[in-house]
Amino acid sequence: MAEEDDQAQSLEAHRKYLYRYALFHLRDPALAEDAVQDTLMAALAQREQFQGRSQLRTWLTGILKHKIIDLTRSRGRGLPADAFALGEDDESGGEFNAKGKWIDPPADWGMPDAALESSQFWRVYQQCCQRMSKRDALVFSMREVMGLSSEEICKKIEISTTNLHVILFRARLSLRSCISKNWFGIGRD
Amino acid sequence: MIHMLIYPCEQAAKLSSRALEQPLTPSERIRLKMHLIMCKRCSNFSRQIEFLRRASGKMPEELEKEED
Repeated sequence: MAEEDDQAQSLEAHRKYLYRYALFHLRDPALAEDAVQDTLMAALAQREQFQGRSQLRTWLTGILKHKIIDLTRSRGRGLPADAFALGEDDESGGEFNAKGKWIDPPADWGMPDAALESSQFWRVYQQCCQRMSKRDALVFSMREVMGLSSEEICKKIEISTTNLHVILFRARLSLRSCISKNWFGIGRD
Repeated sequence: MIHMLIYPCEQAAKLSSRALEQPLTPSERIRLKMHLIMCKRCSNFSRQIEFLRRASGKMPEELEKEED
C-alpha cells in the first residue's frame, strides 16, 4: 500500500504540468481537468509499465495526448461534426486579395530564433494561438506541438488530407501574421 | 516563363505550407522554387512558417518552465 501511495504521489507531482499542457490544447479548464484526471487514472492502472522513472513525464504526456483527442471526439467539443466543411472564402483567412496577392506582405524577420529564449515571446505565441478558432488551434497544435503525423491526425479526427492542409495553412497564416505584428513589430494593426 | 511570373502568391504560400506535410510533385517543387527566387514576400513566408514549426516544437519545454 505504501508503494502505491508513493506511485500516486509521484504522478501527482506532474499534475500541474499536465494541466497546462491540456489547457494549451483544449482552451477549456473543465475539459483540461478531465483530461488530466483520465490520464492519471490510466497511469495508475498501468503503473507496472513505468518502471523507468526518469521518463515518467514523457510517458504521462503520451497518455495525455490520447486523452485530449478522445475527449474532443467523445464530447464533440472543439471539433463539431460539420466543422470541416469549409467554404472557399475562409481558406486563406483574408490574407490575400481576389488576385491572390498578399494584402499585408510578409516582411523579413531577420534571425528570429533569438525570440525562442524570451519568455515574453512565449506569451505572445500563446495569445496568438488563442486568436485562432478552437478547432484550427487544436489541429495546428496536434500537428506542431504534439508532433503527430498528418496521417495520424486525419485518422483520429476523421478529416480528409485536403481539409487538414486547408486548416494548417489558415492556422499558419494567422499565427504568422499575429506574431509578426505583436512580436516582430511588423505589419498592420 | 510567363506563367511562372503570374503564379499567384496565394498558391505559392499554400504550396509552402503543404510542403511541410508531404513531398510536392516535381513540377510543384520547381514552380514553388521559381516563385520563391523571385518573390521576397513568399520566401519570407516560407521561412517564417518553418520558424513557427521550430517554435511550436519547443512549446512543451516552455510549459515545463512555467512550473513554480
